[in-house]
Amino acid sequence: MIKIAELEKIYRTEEVETVALNKLSFEVKEGEFVAVMGPSGCGKSTLLNIVGLLDDPDKGSFLFNGIEVADFNERKRADLRKRNIGFVFQSFNLIDELTVFENVELPLIYLGVKAPERKKRVEAVLDKMQIMHRRNHYPQQLSGGQQQRVAVARAVVNKPKLILADEPTGNLDSSNGNEVMQLLTDLNEQGTTIIMVTHSEHDARYSHRIIRMLDGQTVTENILV
Amino acid sequence: MTYFKTAWRNITKRKAYSFINIGGLAVGIAACLLLFTVVRYELSYDSFEPNYKHIYRVVTQDDFADGVDYTPGIPFPAHDAVKLAFPGITTGALFAGYGRQVTVVESNTAAGKKFIEETGFFFCDPQFFQVFHHNWLAGSPDVLSQPNTTVLTQKMAVKYFGDWKNAVGRFLMLDNDVTVKVEGIIQDSPLNSDFPLGIISSLETAKANASTYGYTSDWGNTTSNFQLYMLLPDHVPVAKINAQFEHLSRVYYKDEKTSKKISFLQPLSELHFDNRFGNFGDHTINRSTLWTLSLIGVFIVIMACINFINLSTAQAVGRSKEIGIRKVLGSDRLQLLGQVMGETFFIVFIALVLAIFVAALGMPYIKHIASIQERLSLLNWQTMYFMLGLIVVVTLFAGLYPALILSGFKPVLALKNKITSATVGKTSLRKGLVVTQFAISQVLIIGTIVAISQMNYVHDADLGFNKEALFIINANADSVMQSRQGAFKQKLLQIPGVQSVSFSSDVPSSDNNWSGNFGFDHKPDEKFNIFRKAGDEDYFKTYGLKIVAGRGFTKSDTANEIVINETLVRKLGIKNPNDVVGKEIRSGRSGWKTIVGVVKDFNTNSLREELKPLMLFARKDRYSVTGVKLRSANISKTQAAIETAWNQYFPEYAYTSSYMDENIARFYQQEDQLSLLYKIFAGIAIFISCLGLYGLVSFMSLQRTKEIGIRKVLGGTIGHILWIFGKEFFILLLVAFLIAAPVAWWIMNNWLQDFQFRIPISPWIFILSILISIVVAAFTVGYRSIRAAIVNPIKSLRNE
Repeated sequence: MIKIAELEKIYRTEEVETVALNKLSFEVKEGEFVAVMGPSGCGKSTLLNIVGLLDDPDKGSFLFNGIEVADFNERKRADLRKRNIGFVFQSFNLIDELTVFENVELPLIYLGVKAPERKKRVEAVLDKMQIMHRRNHYPQQLSGGQQQRVAVARAVVNKPKLILADEPTGNLDSSNGNEVMQLLTDLNEQGTTIIMVTHSEHDARYSHRIIRMLDGQTVTENILV
Repeated sequence: MTYFKTAWRNITKRKAYSFINIGGLAVGIAACLLLFTVVRYELSYDSFEPNYKHIYRVVTQDDFADGVDYTPGIPFPAHDAVKLAFPGITTGALFAGYGRQVTVVESNTAAGKKFIEETGFFFCDPQFFQVFHHNWLAGSPDVLSQPNTTVLTQKMAVKYFGDWKNAVGRFLMLDNDVTVKVEGIIQDSPLNSDFPLGIISSLETAKANASTYGYTSDWGNTTSNFQLYMLLPDHVPVAKINAQFEHLSRVYYKDEKTSKKISFLQPLSELHFDNRFGNFGDHTINRSTLWTLSLIGVFIVIMACINFINLSTAQAVGRSKEIGIRKVLGSDRLQLLGQVMGETFFIVFIALVLAIFVAALGMPYIKHIASIQERLSLLNWQTMYFMLGLIVVVTLFAGLYPALILSGFKPVLALKNKITSATVGKTSLRKGLVVTQFAISQVLIIGTIVAISQMNYVHDADLGFNKEALFIINANADSVMQSRQGAFKQKLLQIPGVQSVSFSSDVPSSDNNWSGNFGFDHKPDEKFNIFRKAGDEDYFKTYGLKIVAGRGFTKSDTANEIVINETLVRKLGIKNPNDVVGKEIRSGRSGWKTIVGVVKDFNTNSLREELKPLMLFARKDRYSVTGVKLRSANISKTQAAIETAWNQYFPEYAYTSSYMDENIARFYQQEDQLSLLYKIFAGIAIFISCLGLYGLVSFMSLQRTKEIGIRKVLGGTIGHILWIFGKEFFILLLVAFLIAAPVAWWIMNNWLQDFQFRIPISPWIFILSILISIVVAAFTVGYRSIRAAIVNPIKSLRNE
């Protein structure tokens, strides 16, 4: 599904040049659950941004489902992104002014799904995540675990092929964290590819494979399954 | 002191917001100051008069079957009758003449300097100066009890004789006929007087020259130029005098058959504001107009305050930590309230200082527009009090709500940065304020469009005659002048640039209302008055009037043949104009005369007035206006030739000329000025609301950085993001429009009632106004929100 080769990303400020990705290569197959680990500043987030089509690489090749997307412009990337990729963030990134239902509905609106169909799909996913009873609440009225479940619901509502999770349990206590990891595992078992950036060895053990990064390069790969 | 330090730091730290806050307030306050100055000046008219509250004018109301006429005048014989009826009350008479000629009689030469006095030429009795106070530099009011005496203001004495001290004892010739001796000098009237006295001769002089000045003992003849003023003692109630006048009117006007005429008292304090009666000054102004101007000032300040409230509450989030720390360190709510109010006061004070400078810069311009000649200073005690009041009101209005919000923060939440825009204040309140702003500016936009359209309509309207290239010479016709008119006309027609020449009582559209009762077809008098214009046989040709039935009258010195207008035909209940041709008409004391033609309707007065039923006829002794239709080539040469001819035929008469279209434009000077004022202040209102919008959108986009990031990650395009901002303001704009449209319609519909000929308030005016609002808002909101929308979402989310 994802094939990255010789990927480079360099951040430049007036004085310093930071190499975020240094000729990075790896592959993720469809249906895989991959954890990316490494110390702060190793390039994990940059990698996730590029894979999530939020940012473009300076050099190298990035095949998404066999299509070269490294040189896509912003509009094309946005279009590919909204059809194929769901995001789960550490800080949930829910919109405070919108209700649970409206937050989850958002990706469908941007996909141009009609209102009755949206309602059906949002309700189905809220049901599955067991937060249907909170549908009219605002994010701030929910606990952290509930918020992250809403975020996961939002990530999967348009049935993406790939979910990118950035420290999904970082802001949660252990029981809520485990619940979220179980959700991700369930999704993966139903066929969704998942790439998760994490600091937690515990969380990483839910995945099939761990990619360890250092200074913009992969150091080791552990196959767990 | 630390409060002011924090206030100053807050101002300098957030430069853009401070600019919007202080700039908006300064412009708003400046606009308000200027409007206050104009309104205060208008309200000050005649108030310098020591007996201001006790002086009344005797005015007359004339009820006809189909309407009411108002006149500030009273028949001449009423003067003696009123004095007789109210022996204990001082009553003075003032009689104005317009366009009169004054010639300085030099002892050594025959031909002295000639002046045409358009205004300032009066006759009065000595009692007038007992009612109105004037400083006498020489002489006393008593000199006016004799005929052939005159009193000059200092300025006029200088104009005639060079030095007022040389004026007393000198002679002036009035209208080439009456010689008067200067017996007194008074100080000039203040500029805010409705009595522009210049040369004041004794009323006895006018009586002695009754035919020249139209002085008549006929009770049926009322001119607005002859007015009576009464000085009521403290203990005499106005109602009592009015009751007596009601009774007396029945005696005075017993001969009025077509109407019910009644005289009553009008207080001096209403002279400047009641345009039913008018005054001797150059304008009246409705109190409603002054209210409108004051309201605009209040609105503009409210708008500036709304900006302040919105931006301060929006900024409050950023200050939550400071407030939290202060609270933790022991500050109580009252102290914080005081701090925030103090900061507001500080900002308002800076704005006020700036506003004084802005207002001082704008003052000459506003004075010019409002045609105020007097030197106006912002630094008088009234304006000072006004500014003091303004600073208190604005501080309270703008500062209280943000202060309550800020001081009410819970310290724990504030320190944990848990206070967000969603939790600060009520967003519905902020929206309500924005709607208020939008609504105010839309009312002003609609009002301005209506005013401009109406004034364009008035200026371009088809008056029913051709006002282009018409050159008008005014003079007071006397027998000497009339005897030379024929030859003068022949001389003018020899000038190549002159197309046609006509002598008349007045031009087709004038402020002349020469009217009286009349009978038609040997029936009893009709229930409405007829209006009259006298002109020679070339009147129709020169002014481009169209005859629709019969013909114009032929050359004659007296009224043998009559032409009437379509309005009269209609009012007589006759459908076909041809049916009146050959019938006879009688007006006033004249005998029955034949109607020879019907002229197509033209505007007999300004467009403010309805079309009057009119009769036209030749009558040489009424001709005071020479109308000359010019050919378009060599206008300046033609003008010079006309003047030369005038001086050749009428050397003893001063020459004053003007163009007809300029005279007509002057009818609408006040409306033009007002529509210009509305335009300026609507512009200021729009500017202030733009500032506020820009500030709010900047703030919104800062606040919603995260949301925009999330939306973009989830697939939102720039268009989607713009719509987030656009939708919000668009809805607010529509709500505001729904409020503004009926209000504006009501206000402007009332304003238009002053015009007999007016534009309809059509839907496109409203469409145009909302389009203007949308475009202005779109530009303001659009620029800032595009900047927000194009930010890379990674950056917006990284700030977390």
